[in-house]
Amino acid sequence: MSFAYKLGTSAIAFAVTAGMAHAQDAAAFWAEAAKPYEGTVLHGVTESTPPSNYIKDVLAPQFEELTGIRVDIETTSWDQMYDKAIKDMEAGTGIYDMVYIEQDIVYAYLSRDFLTDTTQLLVDNPALKSPNYDEGHFTSFAESFRGDNGNLFGIPVEAFIKTYLYRTDLFNDPAHQAAYKEKTGKDLAPATTHEDYLAIAEYFTEWGQANGGELWGTTSQSHTGHPASWYEYVETVLPTFGIYNWGIDAGNNYAAKVENGGKMDSPEAKAAMKYALQLRDLAPPESVQSTWTETATTMAAGRAAQGMIYGENTAWIASDENQSRVVGNIGVALPPLSEGVLAQAEAGEGYVGYYDGGAFGIPITSKNKEAAMLFLEFIAQDEVQPDWAVAGSRITNTATYDDPKVQELDGKLNGYFTMLKDDGRLYAGAPPYPFHAQLREALAPIYYQILTGQIDPDTGVDQMAQKAEDELSALGYRQ
Amino acid sequence: MHSKRLGWLLLAPTMIILFFFGVVPFFYVIWVSFHQWNPFAANPGKIFNWAANYRQVVFDAQLLASLGVTFAFVFFAVVSELVLGYLLAQAFMKDFPGKAFFRTIHTLPLIMAPIIVGSIWKLMTTPSIGIIPNLLQSWFGYNLNIGQSALAAFTVTVVMDVWHWTPLVTLSLIAALVSLPPDPFEQAQIDGAGKRQIFWHITLPMIAPAVVATVFIRLMDALRTVDEVLMLTGGGPGSATRYIGVHIFKEVFPRTNYGYGSAISVVVLYLTIVICWLLYVGLIAPRNTKKG
Repeated sequence: MSFAYKLGTSAIAFAVTAGMAHAQDAAAFWAEAAKPYEGTVLHGVTESTPPSNYIKDVLAPQFEELTGIRVDIETTSWDQMYDKAIKDMEAGTGIYDMVYIEQDIVYAYLSRDFLTDTTQLLVDNPALKSPNYDEGHFTSFAESFRGDNGNLFGIPVEAFIKTYLYRTDLFNDPAHQAAYKEKTGKDLAPATTHEDYLAIAEYFTEWGQANGGELWGTTSQSHTGHPASWYEYVETVLPTFGIYNWGIDAGNNYAAKVENGGKMDSPEAKAAMKYALQLRDLAPPESVQSTWTETATTMAAGRAAQGMIYGENTAWIASDENQSRVVGNIGVALPPLSEGVLAQAEAGEGYVGYYDGGAFGIPITSKNKEAAMLFLEFIAQDEVQPDWAVAGSRITNTATYDDPKVQELDGKLNGYFTMLKDDGRLYAGAPPYPFHAQLREALAPIYYQILTGQIDPDTGVDQMAQKAEDELSALGYRQ
Repeated sequence: MHSKRLGWLLLAPTMIILFFFGVVPFFYVIWVSFHQWNPFAANPGKIFNWAANYRQVVFDAQLLASLGVTFAFVFFAVVSELVLGYLLAQAFMKDFPGKAFFRTIHTLPLIMAPIIVGSIWKLMTTPSIGIIPNLLQSWFGYNLNIGQSALAAFTVTVVMDVWHWTPLVTLSLIAALVSLPPDPFEQAQIDGAGKRQIFWHITLPMIAPAVVATVFIRLMDALRTVDEVLMLTGGGPGSATRYIGVHIFKEVFPRTNYGYGSAISVVVLYLTIVICWLLYVGLIAPRNTKKG
């Protein structure tokens, strides 16, 4: 028996022993820390998404087994989730111990002191601090959930970028490549400009109509009565035209109109609006009733050649044969951009698209803050992340990128996780407005009227800018 | 004396519950309606603003448009349900094979939660993939797109409401028809009255109280329709189906405009009472006067 063999065997034995000891330590910690709270039932409310369902179906039962603390997670629609969470926190009823905080609403919650400072909670209760929990393990997305004091008010559970997905089988098909070249004089490749994106969309829509009518050139999130369509305009389309933060200049008295220093009614915004309408016209008929979920379904059904799709759907569209007809045929790319936008994003002066995601926070009104904190620490551990990432195509801890399971899936997704890791910095979440939902609800009806043709796009954009300033004045933000 | 005290004692739990869950919230809404209150405004507190919210109601074009489509929706839905409900009630009064089965099937929509009804109709009417647009396209070449056509969306919401609530009208009218004495009908037939004359001069007057009660119930229900429509169209396309309940929901919950939303709620309650009163004056009071 060679020395090297002995050394290797010893190292493996040591690693296994150390691993087991670590696992035992971890299990012992959860059992010990949870003792005072055994029998507690925690209530959480969240949107029904693949990552949230994983918490409910997998992580909550695991935690209960370790600690004896039951976790009831209520997964519901996006609207209902906010309705329930806000009413609970506003009335101070304390029904929920955990609420899902989408990145775009955290500023509103922080402004109302709705959330518990989790960093401080652990400082005040050192016995609750798990050896496996470390705020430094999170990706930079966690910064969205820090308060003015730099402390964390939400534990990240989801993080995605809204990416440009395209059908590799169609884009790599020599027949399509030749036909597209003949039609446009250009090579068929993922678009980098709006003009190219439209040309590709037009080509595939025409081809679809001539060949059975089941393929269109693009998806479009254009529901005529749901705010998802308005989000597509302000978060997905506007930034690619160089209009950031919805065209509102927060540092300039929340100006929206060009004459006051805003950009909501700028020529670029009007061009973006017309582009969005052109996309809608090249998308499948169901697009006028499509929210974020339905665009993903359209893509998965193989009804669109390309589309802007929320990242939480990327994994299942690209890899789940039970739900998708385009498994193995999905590519990811940066969205098409106006000139100069990429440079601005790289310089940190702009962004190319929406960095979506959310966290779980503990309402200040919760009666079980300590037990809830334990659960949040549990789901924030590096150890539970890889399977969760595979199930929900979300990554919130940096170590997750290097896990073999995640890297294997990354291959199937044509580099979605790599893009999230390398180009995530080019994307941004919602602007830090505490009036997010209020302004959306004021402006979205005008956007719906633009979509239905009741108002022409230029007039509609002007009306939205005026309405934004009126609403912000009424809310007291614009003086 | 003893039984009177016992009566109050037995009533007390109900009255206490009614007080806390009915009376208190009602007056709370009225109180809130006199405030400017949006918890996500720069000043999140309640600011007393007298009747400013009520003044805004009068000049709010979106609200007035919502009221307009709501009244149209209520009219078409309730009238359709009444006519269809009566015809079905008459049909179920007769014997035919499978009557019990059809009667059961017919009442199934009643037990469904409105949000489920909205989901079902959404699945059935989504362009491209819904069964209804597909059938209409293949049978009549008609392109039904409730995300684009205001008229189509309005019509589908009416049809959905009719589908959901006609069974209630049917059951109510069956109960009324079953309780009618046979003598006046036999007498009318002997006197040579036709079916139409019997309907207008005997059946309708005799079931009028049940009809009016049913209309009241359906009218109040239709005026506060929210869940089904929110699920089906979200109030769109544009504001074509933004009925008043949907409008209030969007104003109060996502927009958290509690003060103004409360004012709209109070105004809508007032309008509902006025409409019911007008119906009462128009339909019931003349009968009572004649009897008197």
